[in-house]
Amino acid sequence: MENKAKVKAVLKQMQSVIALVIIFVVASTICVKDGRNNFLDIRNLMNVLRAVSENGIIAIGMTLILILGDIDLSVGSVVGLISTGCAYLMVMSGFGFIPAVLTSLVIGGLFGLFNGLCITKLHLQAFIVTLASMNIARGLARFWANGIGIPLAYGEGKGMAPPAFEVLQMRIGGVVPVPAIIFIVLLIIFQIILSKTRFGRQVYAIGGNRQAAYLSGIKVDRIKIYAFMICSMLASVAAMIHAAQISQGGPNEGQGYELNAVAACAIGGTSLAGGKGTMIGTLIGALILGMLDNVLGLKGVNSNLQLVVKGFLIIIAVFMQADKVKD
Amino acid sequence: MNKKAISILLTAAIGASTLAVSAVPAFAAEKKDKYVIGMSQCNLGEPWRVAMNDQIKMAAEKYPEFEVIFSDAAQDNSKQIADIENFVQMGVDLIITSPNEATPLTNAVSAAYDAGIPVILLDRKIDGDKYTQFIGADNVDMGRIAGEYVADTLLPDGGKVCEIKGLEGTSGGIDRDNGFREGIKKNDKVEIVAENNADWLREKAITVAEEMLQTNDEIDLFLALNDPMAEGAYIAAKNAGREGDILFVGFDGLPTPDGGIRSVMDGRLSMTQVYPTGGAEAIESAYQLLVEGKELEKTLTLTSEIVTPENAEELLEKYGGTAE
Repeated sequence: MENKAKVKAVLKQMQSVIALVIIFVVASTICVKDGRNNFLDIRNLMNVLRAVSENGIIAIGMTLILILGDIDLSVGSVVGLISTGCAYLMVMSGFGFIPAVLTSLVIGGLFGLFNGLCITKLHLQAFIVTLASMNIARGLARFWANGIGIPLAYGEGKGMAPPAFEVLQMRIGGVVPVPAIIFIVLLIIFQIILSKTRFGRQVYAIGGNRQAAYLSGIKVDRIKIYAFMICSMLASVAAMIHAAQISQGGPNEGQGYELNAVAACAIGGTSLAGGKGTMIGTLIGALILGMLDNVLGLKGVNSNLQLVVKGFLIIIAVFMQADKVKD
Repeated sequence: MNKKAISILLTAAIGASTLAVSAVPAFAAEKKDKYVIGMSQCNLGEPWRVAMNDQIKMAAEKYPEFEVIFSDAAQDNSKQIADIENFVQMGVDLIITSPNEATPLTNAVSAAYDAGIPVILLDRKIDGDKYTQFIGADNVDMGRIAGEYVADTLLPDGGKVCEIKGLEGTSGGIDRDNGFREGIKKNDKVEIVAENNADWLREKAITVAEEMLQTNDEIDLFLALNDPMAEGAYIAAKNAGREGDILFVGFDGLPTPDGGIRSVMDGRLSMTQVYPTGGAEAIESAYQLLVEGKELEKTLTLTSEIVTPENAEELLEKYGGTAE
């Protein structure tokens, strides 16, 4: 019996991989024009990888939170807050590259701490807390920058951003985008943490059955606080990459990013009820979303129709991931 | 097994129908017979931009060798960057675009230009000069005309002005604002007592205006950098019962039923200016460049026209609008 369950679990995992492969193959065949394959082109694939990285990094944190049985709706606003903050620190306050990045991560961590404390100490639901902190972050971002975006012009001297920051925008050898490398590295680290460390096992345990986890001595509150801090810090990393991509830190950036992150996780097999999910699944989910956007764009599909297709896809993906046995 | 089959069928069905409905027809012909133009619009929430797209569509109908693909970035910089990258990837022959914000879109547009694709900018600029042609009216000038009109004609004895601005970071908004402040210098009794952004959208302007009405007991004039926002301010003033004491000035002057010319005719706005979208001109430039092989001027400046209650009706007819 246990073997059968294991095989089922592996097959479930394969479902998303199969979907990924299907989309990849279909995209490669239909995006050919004038003898040129628009999709299966190294520049295009790198563009997709770059676009996927931001959402992917946020989704790594979201996976942790979802496995716990919670949700973090504030990540999009954190992108706005930290992209503005980091730009401000570099351009207005004259911070160097490393100090600005570290300070931004600290701010992100503190924000996650706030989320975690409200949820655990005040015994409030994550949905409500992060819905509220979503507004707090957005408001802080707008207040910090007086509502306007801060452009990043690289150079030395007053009002310029440290040239080292531009690395977040570059491509190694002109080909591989730096954000993609950061994404893959973070993904591997957190996959290892989730599957091989005690912290990871405890996260699954809490998500599976919170009461039982608590009764077996797991420090639920502490784990949750760490998870929310990690999530906000990962969103901060995505925020800095985002600012470098558009050469601007803006308080209105990142709107709707929380939903994209949840979608990537859900398509990758993470259940919103908690207790289930893997980082690899999230990677696949993020790639599927990214490739879908890319294919629809390359075929000139109406922008609004793209949203419709995406919505349907999420429903189908989650439907396929649901457990067959009802209780 | 059933569930899996259903899911796969559903996915295939949706995928197939989407592509069937909106697939770009593949053409075997090479550059001479057919040109594909990619139009990347920053948002279609502004009626002025809907009009821009419509005018591009109508102008392109005259040239059977042109095919225009439209994309809408819904005010999202990242989406517009992806839209333009996709156009480059598709190998379009020309890109027309109104960038959402200047700095964020500079890299993507410059990359397209460097890749050899001609780029025509409509209404909004990028940083630097890696584009083929910029088409737009002189927004600084229009701002100044509005400022001088307020200083000389609308508030000759001075007054308190509340300014409602567009989306921060758009070149048109910055230009109109600067021009306006230049223009009102003629009358030092005219002062701007409040300013805020409403992102070019009517709904946001209602909220912004309400706040200004709340905090300022004396307001003589609302200056909004486009007509929808001016209408929003009017609605807010009406809700507060103060629309009789305040004058309203906008920009754009579309001849549509919800446009600025009607607003002036119906007495809600005191003045606006016709801001041509440049859509038709962009297609003309594309024809000159691609088909006739001519070189384009870097800047094509369009002329604007003042709309006042005196000439509103005749301008409505001139620009093809209807009185009912």
